[in-house]
Amino acid sequence: MLSSYALDSQVIQKELCTGCGACQGLCPYWGSSRGRTICYYDCERSDGRCQHFCPRMPTDLAALQKKAFPDETVLPELGPYRALYLARAADPEIRGGAQHGGAVSALVELALREGLIDGALLTRAKDTLDPAGVMVTDPDEVRRCSGSSFQIPPTLAVLNEALREDRLRRIGVVGTPCKTLAVCKMRYNPLPDNDNHAGNIRLVIGLFCGWGLDWDGLEALTKRSAPSGAGHVDIPPSKYHSIEFAPRGGGETVSVDLDEVLPLVRPACRACADMTAEFADLSVGGARSADGWETDKKWNQIIVRSKTGEELVALARSRGILEFKDVPDTALDKLKKASLGKKRTAVRTLRERCGGLGYLAPNEALLPLD
Amino acid sequence: MEWTMTLNEPGKVCLMQGNEAIVRGAVEAGINFAASYPGSPSSQILGMLGKIARERGFYAQWATNEVCALEACIGTSLANARSICIVKQNGLLCTADALHCGAQHGVKGGLVIVTSDDPSAHSSTNEFDSRFMAMSADLPMLEPTTMQEAKDMVPYAFELSEQYRQMVLLRLTTRVCHGRSNVTLGPLPEKPRALRKVDEWERLVCVSYRHTPMLETLDSLQEAFEACPYNHYSGPGQPKKLIVAGGTGRLYAEEALRRLGETDKVGLLSLASLWPLPEKLIVRYLQHAEDVLILEEVDPFLERNLQAIAGKNRFHIRFAGRGDGALPRIGELTPELVLAAVSSLVGKSLPKRAAAPREPLLERELNFCAGCPHRATFHLLRRALRHEKNPGVVIGDIGCYIMSSQEAGHYAYQACNCMGSGINLAEGLGQLTAYGLEQKVVTMCGDSTFYHSILPGLINARYHDSNMLLMVLDNSATAMTGFQPHPGTGITAMGDSVAPMEIRPICEAMGCKVAEADPFELEKTEALMTELLQEPGLKVLILRQPCATLKSKQQRTKPKVWVDQDKCLGDGCGCDKFCSRVWGCPGNSWDFTKNKAVIDPVSCVGCGVCAKLCPAGAIMVEGGEKA
Ligand SMILES: Cc1cc2nc3c(=O)[nH]c(=O)nc-3n(C[C@H](O)[C@H](O)[C@H](O)COP(=O)(O)OP(=O)(O)OC[C@H]3O[C@@H](n4cnc5c(N)ncnc54)[C@H](O)[C@@H]3O)c2cc1C
Ligand code: SF4
Ligand code: SF4
Ligand code: SF4
Ligand code: SF4
Repeated sequence: MLSSYALDSQVIQKELCTGCGACQGLCPYWGSSRGRTICYYDCERSDGRCQHFCPRMPTDLAALQKKAFPDETVLPELGPYRALYLARAADPEIRGGAQHGGAVSALVELALREGLIDGALLTRAKDTLDPAGVMVTDPDEVRRCSGSSFQIPPTLAVLNEALREDRLRRIGVVGTPCKTLAVCKMRYNPLPDNDNHAGNIRLVIGLFCGWGLDWDGLEALTKRSAPSGAGHVDIPPSKYHSIEFAPRGGGETVSVDLDEVLPLVRPACRACADMTAEFADLSVGGARSADGWETDKKWNQIIVRSKTGEELVALARSRGILEFKDVPDTALDKLKKASLGKKRTAVRTLRERCGGLGYLAPNEALLPLD
Repeated sequence: MEWTMTLNEPGKVCLMQGNEAIVRGAVEAGINFAASYPGSPSSQILGMLGKIARERGFYAQWATNEVCALEACIGTSLANARSICIVKQNGLLCTADALHCGAQHGVKGGLVIVTSDDPSAHSSTNEFDSRFMAMSADLPMLEPTTMQEAKDMVPYAFELSEQYRQMVLLRLTTRVCHGRSNVTLGPLPEKPRALRKVDEWERLVCVSYRHTPMLETLDSLQEAFEACPYNHYSGPGQPKKLIVAGGTGRLYAEEALRRLGETDKVGLLSLASLWPLPEKLIVRYLQHAEDVLILEEVDPFLERNLQAIAGKNRFHIRFAGRGDGALPRIGELTPELVLAAVSSLVGKSLPKRAAAPREPLLERELNFCAGCPHRATFHLLRRALRHEKNPGVVIGDIGCYIMSSQEAGHYAYQACNCMGSGINLAEGLGQLTAYGLEQKVVTMCGDSTFYHSILPGLINARYHDSNMLLMVLDNSATAMTGFQPHPGTGITAMGDSVAPMEIRPICEAMGCKVAEADPFELEKTEALMTELLQEPGLKVLILRQPCATLKSKQQRTKPKVWVDQDKCLGDGCGCDKFCSRVWGCPGNSWDFTKNKAVIDPVSCVGCGVCAKLCPAGAIMVEGGEKA
C-alpha cells in the first residue's frame, strides 16, 4: 500500500496517531502542526520508512522484543525486566526543575559528560505551550529540558533529521512509550536498503505514560487554570482524580478536576497498550510508595531492561549522581496492575474503533483479552 | 505586420490576421478613441492600436476594465468622436448595464464595440454567444467571415452607428481573430474626424421614455439590413434544401458543398447582419425550403430565430443544427463536422479518406511555466493550509493562477466564478466563520485583476471585516493575455510613462492589514501565510515576484542548474521524485533509464527554487544573475 495512504487510512483516520514524529523529518511529505500529523502531498512509494517506523502500524512485538532484548527476562505485563529502583537525582538543582526526582535529567547529563552519547534527543517543555524536540549536545543544556510536556511534540522528527545528517554517532533518546517503540523499530527493523543510520542510536530512556493531551485542549485549559502560564504540570496518583498546575514564577498550585481533563486525552493514547515504555533500555516514572504523594513526587521509579541501562544506572550510583531508597515489596505488583489496566483499555478501544485489535493484531497472544 | 496598419496604398493586397484587419478597419474609419481591457482572442487589437495611435492622431487606452473602456467610449461619442471598444465575450458581459443603458440613449459620434467569442473556450473559462447580448440590449450586430470583411465592416459599422445614432456590435470568433488571409487595403483618411463641442442641450441620457425610440431605431436597422451588402446568397432561386450560416460556418459550408458537388442544388444563405435579422430576406429563401441546416457558433441563436420566423409564416420545415442534435451543442464548428451535417442534408456522403497518420500527442494538463512564481505560491498555500485543523476553503479567480485548479496548483481551489468574483465569494464565506463555519477562507487575485474588479469587493470585505485572506499574486504583468500594462505598471498603451498605482498603499488606505512576501523565500513566506491565517478579520498578502516569462526576457544570463546524480535519491524513500512529480516545474525532468532526476536545460529558467526543496540537496545552482 502507498505509504502515505497506509498511514492516513490505518493510523490517522483511525485516530491512532500518537504524534511521535517517527514518520517526519525523513522527506518532504510528512510534517506536523500543533500535535497533528500532516501529509503535505501523497507519496507513491509503497514501502517507505514512514510506515515502517510508525508505532501504530501492525508489528509483531514479540519478534521485535527478541531482536532488541535477546537475553532478557520478559515479564508479560511489563516487558524486558532486570531490576526496579526507587531513585532521584542527587543534585537538588536538577530535582528542583525536574518532573519528579530528576533521574532522567541526571542520567542523560551523565551519559553526555562521559561521552557514552554525543547527543540527546530531549523535549523543551518548560514554560511553553509550544513544546518542541531538541537535539542536545551540551551536558549543561540537559537540565533546561527537564519537566514533562503532556502535549507530546513530534520529537522523533528531530531524531530523523539528526540521523540523516550522520554527524552525531552516539545518540540517546528520551521519549514516551510510543516513541521508544518507534525508535526500537528504527534500530532493529530498519529498511534493508535505507536504515537512515539508525545504528547511531545508542541509548533509549523511556518515560512511563498514562496518556498525553490534545495540544489545543491543554493550551486552553492551562490558560484558564494558570493565566500567567504553568511552570509545572503534574498528574498525581489516580485517587486524587486531578491534574495540577503550578503557576509560572511560583504561587498556589491549582488543582483541576480530572473530569475536565479526560475529554482532552489524545484519542490515540486510549489505544496505547504500553505504560512503561517496554522497548527502552531504562524506563522512568513517578514513584509510588507508602510515603505518600508529597514525598513520591520527588522520586522516580526506574525499570532497568537492558545491559546498557544497567551499566548507566551503575555508573550513576558509583558517581553519586543518583540517590536510591528501598523499593517496597508491593511496588512491582502495583506496576504490573497499572500496566495491565492500560493494556485492557487499549484492547477495548481498538475493538470499538477498528472492530478488532488493529495495529496490535499480530500480538494477540501477549494481550490480556478477557 | 504593424506597418500594414498605417500603409497608405489603397488597393494593395496584404496578408492579415483578423485582429489586424480590425485595426486597419479602425484606422480607415478615422477613429478618435480606442479603449479595451485585454482578453483573448482579441487582445492584440488594442496593443496594435496603442502603437500607432500617436502617428494616426487618436487616443488609445488599456482601460482598467471593460466597463471603464465602454463608458469612456460613450463619453467621447458626445463630442462626436468615433470610438472603438474591444472586449472579449466575458468583458461584454461585464458591460451589460452600460450596454443596455447606452442602447436606450444612443450615441452621437460613431461607437463600435468589437466583441470576440471563444467557441470551444480555447483561452477562456467558458463559451458564450455574444449575439444574445445584442438581442437583449436591442443593439445591431454584425459578424464577418473573412479578414476582408473584418476590415471593411469596421467603417461600415461606424457609418451605421452614426446614421442610426446607435452603438454597433461587431462579433468575432477565435478563428476569425487568429486566422489569416488577404485583405485589400482601403484609403486612409487624411486626419481623424474633427471633434465637435458638446452643445448645452445635447443629451445622451438613459430614461424610460427612450424605450420606444430605441425600438424604432431597431426597426429601421432591420429594414437597412434587408439590403446589407455583407449578406450573401448562392444557389437555386427557390431552394428545397437550404443552409443558413453565420461566421465561419459559411466557409465550411462552401467547402462541403463543393466537395459534394451540390453547389447548384443547395441554397447557401450567409448572414452577416445577425441582429436584427433581415426577416424578408430570410423568408424569401425559407418559403420553398423543406430542409434547413443552420451553421453557427455556438448556441442555436439563428436556429431558434429562424424557427420562430418559420412558425410565424406557417412554413413546414425540418431544421437541423446545434439545437436538434445534427451538430454538437457545444464547441467550435470544424470542416469535418460541417461536412457530415451537409452530407446528411443532401443524403450523400464522400468516400472516406484515410486519415493522415498523426504523431500521437501526449495528454498533458496545463502547467505553470518554468520558474513561475505561482507554483511556489500554491505549494506554500497547500502547506500552510495543511497546518489547519480543518481544510481551508480556497476561492479562485481569473488569471494564469486559474491553473492552480489542476495538478500544477495541487487542486488548490473549490470555487471559481468570473473575474473579480473571488473576493466576494470569500467575503460571504468569511462572514460565516462567525456562524459556525470552522474553516479558513482564502482567495487570490492577480495584479491586473486587482485593479479590474477586486477593488469594490475589497472595500466591501474591509468595511464588513470579513474573516478571510486575500492573496494578491503580483507578477507585475497581465501575463495570461500577453503582458499588457495595467495601473500598477507605470506604462500606458501608447507607451507613456506614468505614476504607477501601487497595490499596497491602496489596500492600506482602505484600512486593510497588509503583508508582503516573496513566494521564492519559501520558509519565511510559509510562516507568514500560516500566521496570517491565524489572525481574525481581513488580511491582504501581496506575493511579489515577477512573472518568469517577463524575467527571462530581461535577464541576460541564467544560472546553471543541474542534479548531482550521486546525491539524488530519485524515487527512493526520502524523496520519491519530489522535484518532477510534486513540485512539477517543466524544468524538473526525469531520466527513466537511471531513475534519477535531471534538469531540462532548455525549460529551466534558473530560479533555483527546486534546489531549495530537494530533500537531498542534490540540485545545484551556479552563476547567473541572482534570482
Ligand atoms: C505525556 C506524559 C505522560 C506521563 N505519564 C506518566 C504516568 O502516568 N505515570 C508516571 O509515573 N509517569 C508519567 N510520565 C513520566 C513523568 O512525567 C516523568 O517524565 C518521569 O517520571 C521522569 O521524571 P524525571 O524527574 O526524571 O524527569 P526529568 O528529569 O524532568 O526529565 C524528563 C525528560 O523527559 C523529556 N520529555 C518531557 N516531555 C516529553 C515528551 N512529551 N516526550 C518525550 N520526552 C519528553 C524531557 O526533555 C526530559 O528530558 C509521563 C510523562 C509524559 C511526557
Ligand atoms: S518516508 Fe519515504 S515512503 Fe514515507 S512519505 Fe517519505 S518518501 Fe514516501
Ligand atoms: S504515530 Fe508517529 S509515526 Fe505514526 S503517523 Fe503518528 S506521528 Fe507518524
Ligand atoms: S528532489 Fe532532489 S533527490 Fe529528489 S528526485 Fe529531485 S533531485 Fe533527486
Ligand atoms: S531552477 Fe528548478 S524550479 Fe527553477 S526553473 Fe529551473 S528546474 Fe524549474
